[in-house]
Amino acid sequence: MLNSKIPAGSLDKKWEDYKGHCKLVNPANKRNMEVIIVGTGLAGASAAAALGELGYKVKAFCFQDSPRRAHSIAAQGGINAAKNYQNDGDSVFRLFYDTVKGGDYRAREANVHRLAEVSGNIIDQCVAQGVPFAREYGGLLSNRSFGGTQVQRTFYAAGQTGQQLLLGAYSALERQVALGNVTMYNRHEMLDIVVIDGKARGIIARNLITGKLERHFGHAVLLASGGYGNVFYLSTNAMGSNVTAAWKATRKGAFFGNPCFTQIHPTCIPVSGDHQSKLTLMSESLRNDGRIWVPKKQNDTRKPSDIPEDERDYYLERRYPAFGNLVPRDVASRAAKERCDAGYGVGSSKQAVYLDFAYNMDRYGRIEASKRQLSNPTPEEIRKLGKEVVAEKYGNLFDMYAKITGENPYEVPMRIYPAVHYTMGGLWVDYELMTTVTGLYALGEANFSDHGANRLGASALMQGLADGYFVIPYTLGNYLADDIKTKAISLDHPAFIEAEKNVQSTIDKLMSIKGTKSVDHFHKKLGKIMWDKCGMARNEQGLKEAIVEIQALRKEFWSDVRIPGDANEFNPELEKAGRVADFLELGELMCLDALNRRESCGGHFREESQTPDGEAQRDDEKFSYVAAWEYKGESQFELHKEALEFVECKPTQRSYK
Amino acid sequence: MEHYTMNLTLKVWRQKNTDAQGKFETYPVSGISSEMSFLEMFDVLNERLINEGKEPIAFDHDCREGICGACSMHINGRAHGPWAGTTTCQLHMRAFKDGDTVTVEPWRAGSFPVVKDLTVDRGAFDRIIEAGGYVSVNTGNAQDANNILVPKDKADAAFAAAACIGCGACVAACKNSSAMLFVSAKVSQLALLPQGQPEKKSRALNMIAQMDKEGFGSCTNTGACEAECPKEISLTNIARLNREYIAAGLSYEK
Amino acid sequence: MKWSQFFNTSIGKKLLVGATGLFLCSFVIVHLTGNLSLLKDDGGEAFNIYAAFMSHNPFVQFLAWGLKIIIVLHAILALQLTFRNRAARPVKYAINPGNQTSSWFSRQMAIMGSILLIFILIHLKDFWYLMHYGDLQSVTYGGEEYKNLYSAVYMAFKELWLVVLYVIGMIGLSFHLVHGFKSAFQTFGLNHVKYNGLINFVGVWLFGILIPVGFAIIPVVIYFKSI
Repeated sequence: MLNSKIPAGSLDKKWEDYKGHCKLVNPANKRNMEVIIVGTGLAGASAAAALGELGYKVKAFCFQDSPRRAHSIAAQGGINAAKNYQNDGDSVFRLFYDTVKGGDYRAREANVHRLAEVSGNIIDQCVAQGVPFAREYGGLLSNRSFGGTQVQRTFYAAGQTGQQLLLGAYSALERQVALGNVTMYNRHEMLDIVVIDGKARGIIARNLITGKLERHFGHAVLLASGGYGNVFYLSTNAMGSNVTAAWKATRKGAFFGNPCFTQIHPTCIPVSGDHQSKLTLMSESLRNDGRIWVPKKQNDTRKPSDIPEDERDYYLERRYPAFGNLVPRDVASRAAKERCDAGYGVGSSKQAVYLDFAYNMDRYGRIEASKRQLSNPTPEEIRKLGKEVVAEKYGNLFDMYAKITGENPYEVPMRIYPAVHYTMGGLWVDYELMTTVTGLYALGEANFSDHGANRLGASALMQGLADGYFVIPYTLGNYLADDIKTKAISLDHPAFIEAEKNVQSTIDKLMSIKGTKSVDHFHKKLGKIMWDKCGMARNEQGLKEAIVEIQALRKEFWSDVRIPGDANEFNPELEKAGRVADFLELGELMCLDALNRRESCGGHFREESQTPDGEAQRDDEKFSYVAAWEYKGESQFELHKEALEFVECKPTQRSYK
Repeated sequence: MEHYTMNLTLKVWRQKNTDAQGKFETYPVSGISSEMSFLEMFDVLNERLINEGKEPIAFDHDCREGICGACSMHINGRAHGPWAGTTTCQLHMRAFKDGDTVTVEPWRAGSFPVVKDLTVDRGAFDRIIEAGGYVSVNTGNAQDANNILVPKDKADAAFAAAACIGCGACVAACKNSSAMLFVSAKVSQLALLPQGQPEKKSRALNMIAQMDKEGFGSCTNTGACEAECPKEISLTNIARLNREYIAAGLSYEK
Repeated sequence: MKWSQFFNTSIGKKLLVGATGLFLCSFVIVHLTGNLSLLKDDGGEAFNIYAAFMSHNPFVQFLAWGLKIIIVLHAILALQLTFRNRAARPVKYAINPGNQTSSWFSRQMAIMGSILLIFILIHLKDFWYLMHYGDLQSVTYGGEEYKNLYSAVYMAFKELWLVVLYVIGMIGLSFHLVHGFKSAFQTFGLNHVKYNGLINFVGVWLFGILIPVGFAIIPVVIYFKSI
């Protein structure tokens, strides 16, 4: 039975009470406690830094050549915090409420409330580290809005907020490396969890340079290995982002929560051809100033500038007047898909809509002209001044768009289309972030906990850092306090030997196939199945087909994949093969979960379950639970349900109208 | 924008591992779309090599949106290729025309040993950050964020320096393999902000000492680093690093 | 931090190279001002008196030896850094960017500096050694006897090859200073839009063009006077 270990008491006192009563490890004992952290993005790096600062002996692993390259670096728009610096009605409760509602009532209230409570501390901590957030002229921090909220609570650093936050956490991590509290293992990939007497006690990692397998002991193991959006092949994730660590944990007994909850981000640069290797996000913050539209006429091939104002359909403003262009991501994505499917799409593929800055560029231009006391500015002057304002806010994003498409977004509207961006699902964890394997934790995007069925913009950075800086230091101590007598377990323990042997045999098996098709071939095929049948809209028949297709593809993969080179050297194809092998198992589970959840909620849209006007229709009676799947062998999963209770935030039909 | 396809001749540095001798191999590639990114063109080539039973070319890459700093190719004599302010992954094939010969080399620097083919080891950068590229503030110690006022121009300048992605193009582009632009970006970011003041002297001195220890060359102010930096980090940061060094060296008590 | 440590890092050494370089820049101004008296139509009186002053005044003598030490220090440190810089890239690129990313001048500092050093040695041997230790005729101005370095100079520059050598030396000086002058300011941390233009202007026009041309014109004029 799943025990989420939510502390008793009123929602706003739970975390305070927990911190007041959890067990502690004294400083002398901390020095003898070893903690393994896999992944060095926001969650992993912040956890490694915070635990190192406390005196634990931390070993951190990343597959990249430096912890600074983790994909958190690519987060653009910002990070939420309930600071209410703008005096616009924000509060911890409102951030909590917005997040639960934004997640379409499929998140755990207690976790989300804790997240909102510590959100302010994150900003304080990051500013203290020297993170250069955007500022107003008075020297105070600046804020902007993100989708699904009506307050300005998002802190940002141009369009590179994730980069700045990660570099802050990375600096803190490197400081601990210098102090000897953290040992960093770059270019190492975790390939199995070692479980001894029911507790996670270590990992098997492959040194990606030499190909050698290594055994590492830890009193506890923390997975902060990110999301699994790359199961779709094309996504905004980095090329190396993978599910391997989380999947190995699943196979060792950790339940996988809500695997089908995938976020399709509405504003990405459209696919340009078969060669496409990844998709690039254009930050949601652009929707603050960009208006989304399509022509009112189907198959309109005129240039956007030739389409007069009254022949444009600003469909988000039309359908959702209260939130307009700032509706949550799931809503915006489906609306774009709906327009394109109905034949109103633009661009050569017709799979795109316009994101147009002209209106706000002129508005900013007039404000600037008035600030500078220009009388009777010409439209050109206004546009020029407006461009400068927009360039300061989003310059890097506009440059990126221009480089990728060859078009100048200051002159013509951007073309955008939804793309896979984030996975709300992940390893099931309790309130303490522990998975169903004792001593094995999951942090950040790797866990399922805080975003329900749809994540609001600027909340991923918040969650990653909350978990790493402010949650795990308490909850891990509560676990390790009972473990202080456990001495480091010998790496020759049979469980280590066994785990390493299994990893080795998987590698040997992969290398020995010597088939005819590249890893990418299979990855692309898997991605297509997932996008077509488990993407923005899902239905029973498609999902059933997908499961069969994935099983067949997996079989083909294990008999026909070709991996050049050797296992005992730097071999990126072998790394990819291992990851795709895991995606081929996860993909099936995602479809299974999507099939099981016969309701629409957040990013999960079942065509069978919609309101008359095409909005997602939840079924709280039957599906107000977390689906936690237990691995029972190939293609065999057992469903466990964690019922969700809503005390403060009563589920209603989510409306942004 | 007109799209077109092209045929190219690629000359790529192949090196089995750090200790092996490397050499250039020539590969003709055809049917490359002008809409592809440079790395997607490499994907096409690698796919073909795999199908031919050969080893694909190893190169570092991850985010493919110009921010992680992993990609690192020296293309026709230019770090990250011909476009200014652009990483290799953001370089698109529009930059080339049919029939071009493109020579691709790894970053060349003694402090960045080749791991394999076009992949190099940039661990030296991590060690430089370890030497002082941080503010010593333990988690939980922070005061309210708005208690620290930072003038907007300072915050903007600090951000511009902090935009460094640690790709190493500055080292690759410098005829001396100097890491001054990288070091100066971090030192500048923290020297410009109030939070960085308490440790500014030890930071500048320790990071420079580590930079020298790693074997990077010295700066002769040619400006090639600034010209090639994908984030267009300014040479004014190097001037600031020099000022920080002088100020620290003349007054630091240790 | 000890001075020895301060000047022993890559930046510390560059500070010394920059400081000595700027001192040498100031020297060339003084040197040129004196040398231009060679072109005065007074049969060498002004120049010879100047030369005697320069080689006898104790303070000038002190500066002159200091100058030589500074030249040596500048050259040794710069060469040290150059060798270190070369060693920092054991495997060279097959294709270099050339002038696409940096100016030609800025990349040739070591070469131009070396040409300059060789030139200085030849120059010292030709005239400084001659003045101090060589056999020179003497002339008398206002009852005082002076060494006639002037006529020695005029004799020397009758040789075309020497004139060419001096012109090459001055081209070396020009190219060295076009980058060297402004580079020193950057090394001292002086880089600001307010005065960068001025530094650049002085570096190019005064040190890159005016002064080298001023120096080079002397042997050329003398040569043409002689034919």
